[in-house]
Amino acid sequence: MEANATHSRLTAIALSFMAVIWISPFSWLVLNAFNPLSTGQLEIPRAVGLDNFGLAVSGNAGRQFLNSMLIAAGTATLSVIVGISAAYPLSRLKIPGRNAFLWTLVLLRMLPSAGVLVPLYFAAQRTGLLNQLGVIIALTILNLPFTLLLLKNFFDTVPIELEEAAYVEGASLLQIITRIVLPLSRAGIAVVWFFSFTGAWNEFLLPLIFARVQDAFPMSVGLYAAFGQQGAINYGFLTAFSIIYAAPAVGVYFLLRRNMNTGFAGVGVKG
Amino acid sequence: MKNQANPWLTNNLWVLGLGMLPAIALIGVLLYFTAWAFAFSFTDLALVGRKSVEWEWVGFENFERLFTRRGFLESLWTTVIFVFFSAIVGQSVLGFLLAAALRGSRSTLRSVVEVCIMLGWLLPDIVAAFLWSATTAQTGLINQLIIRPLGLPPVNFINDYALPVVTIANIWKGTAWSYLLFSAALDSVSREVVEAAKVDGATPLQRIWLVQLPIIRPHIATNMLFITIWTFTYFPLIFAMTGGGPGRQTETLAIFLYNQSFSRGNLGFGSAISVAMLVIVGCLSLIYLRMLREPK
Repeated sequence: MEANATHSRLTAIALSFMAVIWISPFSWLVLNAFNPLSTGQLEIPRAVGLDNFGLAVSGNAGRQFLNSMLIAAGTATLSVIVGISAAYPLSRLKIPGRNAFLWTLVLLRMLPSAGVLVPLYFAAQRTGLLNQLGVIIALTILNLPFTLLLLKNFFDTVPIELEEAAYVEGASLLQIITRIVLPLSRAGIAVVWFFSFTGAWNEFLLPLIFARVQDAFPMSVGLYAAFGQQGAINYGFLTAFSIIYAAPAVGVYFLLRRNMNTGFAGVGVKG
Repeated sequence: MKNQANPWLTNNLWVLGLGMLPAIALIGVLLYFTAWAFAFSFTDLALVGRKSVEWEWVGFENFERLFTRRGFLESLWTTVIFVFFSAIVGQSVLGFLLAAALRGSRSTLRSVVEVCIMLGWLLPDIVAAFLWSATTAQTGLINQLIIRPLGLPPVNFINDYALPVVTIANIWKGTAWSYLLFSAALDSVSREVVEAAKVDGATPLQRIWLVQLPIIRPHIATNMLFITIWTFTYFPLIFAMTGGGPGRQTETLAIFLYNQSFSRGNLGFGSAISVAMLVIVGCLSLIYLRMLREPK
């Protein structure tokens, strides 16, 4: 028992050390963001203030925040809705060619997205979709293989007996789906929504190419553009802006945290 | 047959079919674009200039250039090193060790470590790139905290050790995914099996190596499949940190593809690179999927 206790204490120390290392790069971000006289160096600030944050929300940032929110929430919601309505039949019906279809999805997941960027751009240009809606649709297209595979896996874990019982009780297809299937795979849907949300929130290349005017920039592009504006880099602004930009993804994670761990169990086994 | 037994499905086939339509249409569009990229790879299409309008079919010329000109093979090698060390060695091994170690730990410690690791993963790529550029810069954290106190001259890591730095940054960023997946996988290993091995006198190492690892092998294969695909085509972090430099030290295939297609405007050659990447990742995936399927 004695050896065991020492062992677990050592593990705990190693793990805490690990956590400190993991979190240490953030020191630069936080120290500079709260330092109104920031120079981009790693130093203890002589003054502490929120001036940088004021600067970060005053310019185009509010607009860019809304744009990012629109793109991320729109992509996530559209992916999940399209994904659910296709994943449920895929999970339940023995459609001929289903396996071929799923293998196509796996293959599509391997595509470097820069490879389809040019066709995407040409298509958007021709259909007049070089705007937010275009970004949402393009990201949904790129997300869909992954979304579909994950959702199908989650639906596979819902026992079909429950649906049978509900049918015998007189439930319609819609009722079966909305009252049984969706609530039971809630964790999985939350995970998929979260993945799509953060993916779209972080996306940089596509909005950069699609959004032609400053008003349409999401935060990722705004941050990139702010880097080196007017020659000199304002590190205080940059770090404060980065923190604001990073906050929603972190926030959404904590909101969904309980669901995440359950949801992840379904990711495994049948990629 | 499954279908006959489930009248709520068979009676509503057309509704279900209708539900699948949007997804099928979008997947179709993606397939169409992919076919387009394939077609580009046999042309000398350019982004701007005369060749953007009057392009010609050039057969396999672009694919020959992959092997005869400098660039592709070097980038491939860089990518292999990057994927091997950051994804396969770094993220999965570290993720597994963390998942295994945290299972026995108290819940507060577990939450704290979990949140720290997740923060790296949740941070947008561009912000992560800033962080790591700053941390490894001449005046950054590593120099201030380790190198200078030792009395050594400051090292400009991002310039002198570019590939190791981006590899470490990617480990830092991506370990959370492997950790979460392995954590869920280890939860699915029944306690009785592990206890039985313990009673039979298996050491902790043997319990992990001979009992738990074989059970979660499908999860390992799935994890490998996902992180290999992602890391192989991963673009923003390296692009924002080094842009492929200094020189070509960190020019992975994704960066090479971007530079060729959009900086130099060789869309035809760029498409050939993406086709080659697709083939390579496809072959790797087949290996993993065999691992996944093979009966114990």
